[in-house]
Amino acid sequence: MRIFDPHIHMTSRTTDDYEAMYSAGVRALVEPSFWLGQPRTSVASFTDYFDSLIGWERFRAAQFGIRHHCTIALNPKEANDPRCRDVLDVLPRYLAKDGVVAVGEVGYDSMTPEEDAVLAQQLQLAVAHDLPALVHTPHRDKLAGTKRTLDVVGESGMDPGRVLVDHLNEPTVAVVAGSGCWMGFSIYPDTKMDEHRMVAILREYGTDRMIVNSAADWGRSDPLKTYKTGLAMLEAGFTESDVDKVLWQNPVEFYGQSDRLVLDELPGFVASGETFAGNSVLRGGGSGGAA
Amino acid sequence: MTAFHLGYGTNGFANHRLDDALRLIADLGYTAVALTLDHHHLDPFADDVAEQTDHVAALLERLELRCVVETGARYLLDPHRKHHPTLVCDEPEGRIDFLHRAVRIAADLDADCVSFWSGIRPSDVDPDTAWRRMRTGVSMVLARASALGVRLGLEPEPGMFVEHLSDALRLREELGAPELLGITLDVGHCVAVEPEDAASCIRRAGDLLVNVQLDDMRAGVHEHLEFGEGELNLPGTLAALTEVDYSGVAAVELPRHSHAAPDVAARAIAALRDALVPVIPKTDDRDSEWVSKVDHPWLVEAEQRVRTDPTAIRTLFPAVGRKVGRGPLRPESDPQGLVHGTVDDLARTRLLAALAEVLDARLLGVEVAELYRYGDDAERRGVLRGLSALPDTVVSTGLDIVRDALRANDIRLVAAAMGEFAARNLDAHSWRHGVLKCLFVGVPLAAVVELSKRIDDELLRMVADYAEERRAAGRAVPADAEKLLEVGR
Repeated sequence: MRIFDPHIHMTSRTTDDYEAMYSAGVRALVEPSFWLGQPRTSVASFTDYFDSLIGWERFRAAQFGIRHHCTIALNPKEANDPRCRDVLDVLPRYLAKDGVVAVGEVGYDSMTPEEDAVLAQQLQLAVAHDLPALVHTPHRDKLAGTKRTLDVVGESGMDPGRVLVDHLNEPTVAVVAGSGCWMGFSIYPDTKMDEHRMVAILREYGTDRMIVNSAADWGRSDPLKTYKTGLAMLEAGFTESDVDKVLWQNPVEFYGQSDRLVLDELPGFVASGETFAGNSVLRGGGSGGAA
Repeated sequence: MTAFHLGYGTNGFANHRLDDALRLIADLGYTAVALTLDHHHLDPFADDVAEQTDHVAALLERLELRCVVETGARYLLDPHRKHHPTLVCDEPEGRIDFLHRAVRIAADLDADCVSFWSGIRPSDVDPDTAWRRMRTGVSMVLARASALGVRLGLEPEPGMFVEHLSDALRLREELGAPELLGITLDVGHCVAVEPEDAASCIRRAGDLLVNVQLDDMRAGVHEHLEFGEGELNLPGTLAALTEVDYSGVAAVELPRHSHAAPDVAARAIAALRDALVPVIPKTDDRDSEWVSKVDHPWLVEAEQRVRTDPTAIRTLFPAVGRKVGRGPLRPESDPQGLVHGTVDDLARTRLLAALAEVLDARLLGVEVAELYRYGDDAERRGVLRGLSALPDTVVSTGLDIVRDALRANDIRLVAAAMGEFAARNLDAHSWRHGVLKCLFVGVPLAAVVELSKRIDDELLRMVADYAEERRAAGRAVPADAEKLLEVGR
């Protein structure tokens, strides 16, 4: 099974996760920029985070044979904090980067006027940079939030085929299916979706424009949920090519619209525990001291 | 295009007059010739050999052909027995006399070297005797060569007594490693009989290479083939020559193709040119051939845009990889681009150079600092590798950037930070820590520019302590650390 995890926050994950993902078949992923759990209070901590998404984390993933891409945006939660809003001014610099395959995650958290403005503004940035957009749907008041999201997308003039609406579930899938946008599902241990409910949705709606991700982050989550969904699909009678479509071809087609996906195997990569002189991610040799 | 000179062997033009052969070879675009002395090609036993030599020397000069002298003619000395006499037969005097004559001619032609082989060991000569005869014979020829200042190239030849590169190197060592005794390497022979590939043999011979013969061959079969007919990795082989800084003659050796020499020679140079493109940029990126061929049109336009609007670099710099490719410059020896960098590194250096033409010192410093500050991993590497192309007015900005990169753990940044700029400008303390960091994180020390010049006792102490710490933990000491300590001793 080859897997492209289209939504996973590797910054919060360990090297064990990278190893387990590689052995499960994950060869590429997208890390959307998002809230870090602890609210940020300045633009500088955003830019350091973005730098990490296009620098260190990409390098770290490469050590484990996985191609790392990211999406860049001001997330909806922090869009409400005036101290963070100025990050919008530096976004163009990051949206020009290699490996930045969409504007995201944008969308709604509490559906405030600030969120309205920031969402609309960032969809315009996606248009200006010729990038797709990854839109997060809110945890609370989800159906209303999803509908409002689709309205804003409609107003932006973006082609719905370049928009992925994420974190969908049974009550929200139908409206997005009708909109022409891509449908994203985050498979979680006990919130959002699980793999068996996912299989039921795939049975009902088919595999077109369907995207499955683990959305694993710093909360209780499982980076192998993409793989487990693939297994559940096979058990339920889906073919291997159905699984490949959902777990690889679809995310590649969606993010491929950026023209910035790099999917060839990493040069010189050998899947083994040994990387550099026995150190997995380079902490500075055998002495144990930080380099 | 290359530091070495592509040539063709006149033994592949056996049915041509020598003058005609030389003209044809030059016309095809070769810049060198491997001249096999033979009864019809500058016969060393002719009465008028001195005049003939003057004539050939003048022609070579006019055609701008560099040359090496080859001594593998088949029936020049004995019309009955091929290659006879040899250095290892019972009466080697005839061979030694011939080699002395060849040395004289090489001196007069201003040739790079005289190339020779041992000959086949007759079945009734034991290996010890043959080895002794080699030592004696080579010493005698060396004496003559020293008098005239001519270099010799001993060629390991399949089926002959000195068959492998290791035999030739051992003989050289036993003779006290005479400066004038080098190695002639036929890369096809490497495919046929050597335990490692031609590129590895080239690296092993390294500085001792004085002459290279190019042809294809199959493993186990000593048959000189046109490129592509055998198993030779031609791009990799040529890349290895570049890598060891070989600057002599590399001539096609197809002695059994004389019947169609002009066509064969034309095909050979086409194959060599094709294979040479990747000596610089052979990568998976289809767009990267521009490095050694012509300028990439996008890059040329980007440079112009930077010159007219310096702020354009802010959007052009991140786009470089997408436009010109990202592959390593020397993939055969440096697959990660840690030592020589990548195609996009090189293109970014060009953009920085264009920027430096149009901005004053203060603005240039600010812009370069911002490009690094807002750069992703590849852009930061590009800035680091481009620093040496910038004027001294931005040295202090450059030093800030290098110090930042040396705090990173991304090995590509660390490698790029220890380039020419650091060699010239970084203080001794930071530079030593940079070297040590390379050892820690697995950056080959070949990436550290001017390492041997800047090595000092303090660095050696640090590396020795590091090696000690590794041993105490029961861990392997990196080979580069061992090597560095050896050099220091």
